[in-house]
Parts: sequence; structure tokens; C-alpha cells
Amino acid sequence: MAKAVNGKGGTTQSIPLRYGDDPYVWACWLYYEDQLTQGEIAETMGISRATVNAYLAEARERGIVNITIDPERLSALTIAQELKRHFGLDDCLVIPSDGGAHPLIERLGTAGARVLNQTVRSADTIAVAWGRTVMAVAERARRGDLQDVSVIQATGGTTATFEYTPEACAACLSAALNARCVNLTAPALVSSAEVRDLLLQEPVVAGQLAALARANRLLFGISSLRPNSTIHTSGFFDSVATQLYLEKNAVGVIAGRFIDDHGRPVSGPLDERTIGITLDGFEGIETKIAVVGGIDKVAAILGALRGGYIDVLVTDAATGRGILKADGVAELDRKLAPQRGPEAGVVNVRSAVKKFVNKPVDVIEEMLDGIVHAHERYLRPIDGHRRALVAQRGPREGKVGLVIGGGSGHEPCFLGYVGKGMADAAAIGNIFSAPPPDPISQCAKAASGGKGVLFVYGNYTGDIMNFQMAADLAKAEGIEVRTVITTDDIASSPVEDREGRRGVAGNFFTFKIAGAACDRMWPLEACEAVTSKTNRRTYTVGVALEPCSLPQTRTHNFEIGPDEMEIGIGIHGEPGVARDRLRPADEVVDAVMDRIFSEMQAGSGDRVAVLVNSLGATPLMELYILYRRVRQRLEAKCIAVHASWTGHYCTSLDMAGASITVLHLDDQLAELLDHPCDTAFLSIK
Amino acid sequence: MSRNQARELVSMFYAISEAIEAERGSLTRLDGVIGDADHGITMSTGFLAVNSALSKLDMENCTPSDVFFTAANAFLNAVGASTGPLYATAFLCAATAVRQHDCVDGRFLCSIFAAIAEGIRERGKGARGDKTMLDAWLPAAEAAHAAYERGASVDQIAREAAEAGAAGAAATRAMIASKGRAARLGERSLGHIDPGAASARIIIETIGVHFKKSIQQ
Repeated sequence: MAKAVNGKGGTTQSIPLRYGDDPYVWACWLYYEDQLTQGEIAETMGISRATVNAYLAEARERGIVNITIDPERLSALTIAQELKRHFGLDDCLVIPSDGGAHPLIERLGTAGARVLNQTVRSADTIAVAWGRTVMAVAERARRGDLQDVSVIQATGGTTATFEYTPEACAACLSAALNARCVNLTAPALVSSAEVRDLLLQEPVVAGQLAALARANRLLFGISSLRPNSTIHTSGFFDSVATQLYLEKNAVGVIAGRFIDDHGRPVSGPLDERTIGITLDGFEGIETKIAVVGGIDKVAAILGALRGGYIDVLVTDAATGRGILKADGVAELDRKLAPQRGPEAGVVNVRSAVKKFVNKPVDVIEEMLDGIVHAHERYLRPIDGHRRALVAQRGPREGKVGLVIGGGSGHEPCFLGYVGKGMADAAAIGNIFSAPPPDPISQCAKAASGGKGVLFVYGNYTGDIMNFQMAADLAKAEGIEVRTVITTDDIASSPVEDREGRRGVAGNFFTFKIAGAACDRMWPLEACEAVTSKTNRRTYTVGVALEPCSLPQTRTHNFEIGPDEMEIGIGIHGEPGVARDRLRPADEVVDAVMDRIFSEMQAGSGDRVAVLVNSLGATPLMELYILYRRVRQRLEAKCIAVHASWTGHYCTSLDMAGASITVLHLDDQLAELLDHPCDTAFLSIK
Repeated sequence: MSRNQARELVSMFYAISEAIEAERGSLTRLDGVIGDADHGITMSTGFLAVNSALSKLDMENCTPSDVFFTAANAFLNAVGASTGPLYATAFLCAATAVRQHDCVDGRFLCSIFAAIAEGIRERGKGARGDKTMLDAWLPAAEAAHAAYERGASVDQIAREAAEAGAAGAAATRAMIASKGRAARLGERSLGHIDPGAASARIIIETIGVHFKKSIQQ
């Protein structure tokens, strides 16, 4: 800390050159950087203390000084304030996102313990429910300085073997608070209402329940009724009974009691057999602390909040934001958005995107009319139906037929890969909509050479339903059908959920290899196996810069801000997986390649094929810039590029953006990739 | 008797188509947030195709079953996507269900709601809480059934089904999609009503209003 020294007060000192001629900057520097007091600054600058104060205030107003709070913490605080205000809570603690460094349960436990430590007083009676989160709080709470605190089990007990039973939670918390532990010595769930009534009359149990009724604090978690929730996995309730509650619109369980999305009690067969606190019993308790987090619990938490079962909520930022969004708090996003200058909000909004269209309802038919004439060398409509296209020289006796297909809007995808050595037929649906079963089964018939047909298409609910119905129709005609569903979009789901991923531009490689296997007259099982292998070794990530627009609406499907991009974009104009700030091309490629390398087990000397694909509006110029960096990243790992394609191969109408696909080759796949084919958009000699 | 029912159903489908047409823009905007922005277009295309197919039926020799069967095929072939098979299966189930009824009454209305909900559930292998059209259809069918069991009037059955359907659709706002394309959005699907549930609400309401009217006349 350099302390400037000077003598004379009253007259303004000359400003050191480095501050320009701005006394405000000088004052700020001395205050914030040199950490002088206002009095010292007054002396240094030779002005009055009041002037220093005014300089500092005005510097903040004029933006010379910006005080920033860590954005994660700020947003957690904003969410907490909003939750408190919106639901009229006594208090709310929202823990900031930590990027997944620590498990959520542990972080909730720490936060819950902090709240509990602050809340609890001597002579309190704390009712405690059970569950993973409650246990995490109990393990971390600590107050040894209080007197006459009781901890009472809020529900009956269980013989279950998990570590967070009602008994264990009560015991752990009472030890942490140096409190008397009152167990509820009855089962949480008994076999009938009669047994419950008898037990309630037992003096010991009655006494414990009377103690429970005197509780002035309650600590509890909330379980959702979604699959994988504690309610199902703990085995506490039998699944048949839970199903009955679910049918009555129950969304969550608090202390063993079921509630709906407005917090109304949902009655069912377990009510009469449950021993423990009732929902009415919540009312008399002064401080009800809920510690709960997880996006899948939003509906349940919302129910508990609306029902007034919570006074103090402890949750995490993502869940808190989810609760507010689910309850339609619209201002939240604005409050959480970084503050921008006044002009930043003004975006040039065009009322309608310009397109070459006659009548919007005719776009598909007119496009198909164009296609069958433009590419008549390669394909023709089946029996005059243009939504089912068959290859001119594809299907033949003894060959497995390859049928591909999906919605329109991805051109040249599907139709462009119909021809000798690739797909035998393609079924075309409406824009971004799976084709119905009828054209698909027509394709199967036309492609069949008596040795079975292979269906290859992207992993979408609609495609699966329609292709499956078509497979049933084909089977009825004696055609054996095997299916490979493509799942190359690695951004769309984590690796544990590979089967849930979308099929996107990687289709290009999967269709190519499948077509080669079929063209080599391989049997159906072998064609299916190698296609499936190709899909497993194909990795795609897409990035969008601008959304696309449908010919019918001519407006953007969603908005991407001026400084934003959307990572993990699909090919249907649907929003991507995450929003990110717009970055230079190389950084975008690096983010994509890092993601691909984290999954692709390719070592030095391995070979790959690369596809840098435009999502529609992005020109080749930018694709080459991307490819250049892809190549650098591969070379740095000594991975050889066996073949590459750059251009429009699987698009999303007029979306601006690109996808990068890497196919990890082995000898078999390389050979099949090099196998000749002749289609409108891919020709290998 | 059944000829009347068939005409009744044809005009019900016209009414549905009109209602969907009126909400086409809002459905599409809803879908833009969490889907691919075509739900309004898809539903409109589907029901226009249903109308056109139904207008070609020979109403003199047509049963209620025929109407649902024709609607199922027309909807499926015009739409594809996931909505196509779901509503096609729903209408096929309804085609079977209405065979057992010979007049337009509360039981008839109930069985239509129940068959549609069951068909969608069966085809989509979905459950309540998945944030789909099922979150509107299941409560509506159950409410209709409960009202009927209570001996409620057609008017009342229709109203309670519509209320339950609307509440169910609104509840999808707090749900995370676990089926269909929106499933990949995870928490970003929160706060938005599922477009499929929103269009289901419209259909449920229209069916109710239509039967209410037809009974009164």
C-alpha cells in the first residue's frame, strides 16, 4: 500500500499524469486500489472530505467504478429473495451452483445444518422426518450449548436397512444438538387401520405423539413421485399403493403424507395405516424447515410451498430457478440477466423471414416434385407416391434392402443418399415430422430382395412409433425387418444414457456403411451388426448461431441473443442443450472436440472420418475455418483423417450453425466407407 | 339410432378442427419454446385431413365406429410424427369402444374419453407426470368416469372432464419432460405448458361442449 504524502490542505494538488486529468479516477484509485481512508485521500488530493465522498459516489454512478458480486452468488441470492417474496416464506437459503464439484445432497446438508444451527433455541422440540437429505443435515448440524432441547421422530419407524431411516435421523440429530431423543416406537406403516387405532391407544405411543404435537420446529425433506425417487427406491411404500396416489394427481410426499400440485392432501389406502405427523399437524409448528433440491422434485416442492407446509426453504440455485419458472415468475430471467447498456436490448427484429415459397401448405409436395425430376437418375417415387422414394439401381434379388427416412427440412438428408451402394429407399415426412407408417412400408416392399430389410433412422419418439408400425406391416407381408436407431448426438444426453441420444448428422456415415454392407450382399444380421457398430463409433456435436424458421410461420422458432450461441443443437429447430456466450471459431471447435475426445477412445495412429456439416445457412467459408481447427486437434493427437466431407449434408432448414461429426474407423469400417456408391449427394468411385 | 351417432361424431370432428384452427398460432408458439414449433401446424393438418376424409363417407350407411376408424387413418397418414400414431391409436380404440353403445348419452361420452386416453397411453407407453398430452387426457377420462358413476348429467360430465383436462394441462408447467424431443431439454422445459397437453385440453373441451349442445337440441 503506497501512501501518498503531501502537506498542504485546501488547495487542489496537481493530478499525477497517469490519472489523466480526471480527479474522479484519482480518487477511486486511492480509495479502492491503495485502500486509503477518505480522510487520507482528502489530504492527498488537497480537497475536502465531503468532496472525496461526492467524487466516489459519482464515480459509481458514472460507471468509472463497477462493483461486481460473483455472478453465481448474486443469482443464488436473487433466486432466494424471489422465492421468499413469491411464496411469503420466513426465510430462504439458496446455495449457488458449484459446477458439480460436490454432490448436491452434501451441499444441501451443509446449508440445512447452517439454517438449523441458527434457528434452534434452548427448550425447543424439533420434529424430524427422514430421508437422505434430512440425514445429510443431521450429520452436519452442531450446537452443544443449548439446554432442554428435544428431538422427536416425526414418523413411525421401519426395519429397512438404508442409512437414513426415521430412527437413524432422529438419533443423529439429537446427538448433534445434545438433545433428548424421543423415538416414535411404532411402525411408520402398519397392516391395517385397526392395528393403527390400537397402537394409538397404547399409552407409550400416545405419549410420544403428544410430544410430537408440541413440536415447535420441523425438519423435513420432500420426495417426488417420479421414478427413481426415494419413495420408490427405499421400499418404504409398496408400488401398487403409490400408483393409486399417482392416479389421484399426487406429486410429492412430505413426512409420509401425499400432496398434489397445490399442496392439497391426496387421500389413499396408506393414510389409515400411517403413524406419524399428519398434514394438519404441520399447521401448529412455528418453523417448518424443508431442505430439498433436484430438478425432478420441482413439482413436489411447488406443491409443498403452495400448501403452506414450508416456512424456511433450503434449496439449490437450479431447483430454485425451476420452482419460480414453473410457477410462472416471468421477471426472473430479466433479473438474472447481466445488466447491459440501454442500446443492447434493441435488436433488429424482422417481422417475417423471407423464403421462396408459393403456398406454405404446398412446400413438401412441390419440393418432392422438384426432387424426383432433379435426381431422376438416382431415384423415383414408388407407385407415384412421392413420399416414398426408391433407388433406380438399388434393390435387387438376394440383397438386404436398406430403408432410411425421417422428416423433411434436413435436405439433402435422406433423399440425397438414395442410390446404388447406399439406401434403397427413403420415406419422407412433413417438416421435422416422422413419415407415417404407410410410405415406410411401401419403401420396405420396394427395397426387399427377399433377404430382409434394414431400417436405419434417428432416435425420435415419432420416428420410432411410425417405423415400428411399418415394420409390423412389412412383417405381415413376410418381410423380415431389422432396425438400427442412430444416436450420434453426444451432447443430447450423458454417456450413461446413450440410448436416449438423438440421431443427427452422423446419419451420413451410418447410412454409408449400412449401404455398403447391403451392397456387398452381406446377410441381414451382419448388416445390422456393422451398422450398429458404426452408430456406436460416431460422435456428433452441433452448435447453432441463429434459429431456423418454418415456411408456414416464417418466424424464428426460438431466439438466440446477439452475443449467444446454442450448444448441442439438434436438427429440428428445437433449442439445444445449453446456451453459451458466442466465442471465436477455434474455441467453438475446441469445446466440441474436447467433448468428442472425452468419449472417443482413439489413440495415436487411429483413423477417423470427419464431417463438418452446415445446419443450413452457414456458408462453406465458415465450415472450412472449422475444419481447419478440427484437423489441427486431430493431428496433435496423431489421429489420421482417412476421409472428410465439408458442406450441407444434414440441415435444419435455414438455421445458422454447424455440426462436427467424427467416425472412429477400424479396418472393416474404413473398407466399407471406401466401397463405391452413387447417389445424388455422395458419390464414391 | 347409430346413424344419428355417426353424424354426431362427424360434426364433433368438425368442431375440433375449428377449435384447433383458432388456437393454431398459440400452439405453435408454445411448441417453439420446448419443441420444434410445429405442433399447431401438425394438429391443424391432421384434423383438416380428418374432415376431408369424413366428408367422403356415405353417411347413410355409416356407424360411429366407421367414423373413428376413418379419422384414425386420415390423421395418421396426414401427420406421421409422434402425434399421428398417438391420436390414430386413440381413435382406433374409440372405434372399438363405441361399438357397444347405441345412443348418445353420458356413458357414450365417457367411453370415448376413456378409449382415447387408453389408446394414447398404450401407444406412447407414457405415464402421468411425463409432461405429455396424457397429463390432460388421463385426468379428463377419470373425471368423466367419476362423474358418470355419480349419475351426473352429460352436461356435468362434459364440464368436469374439461376442468380436469385444463387443470392437467396447466400442471405440465411444473413438470420436466421425460418423453419426446422436449426430454432433451431437461430443466429448460420447466415453466412451459406442454403443447401436446395444451391441444388435448382444446379437444377435450370441444368434445364436451359439442355433446352438451347435441343433447340439448
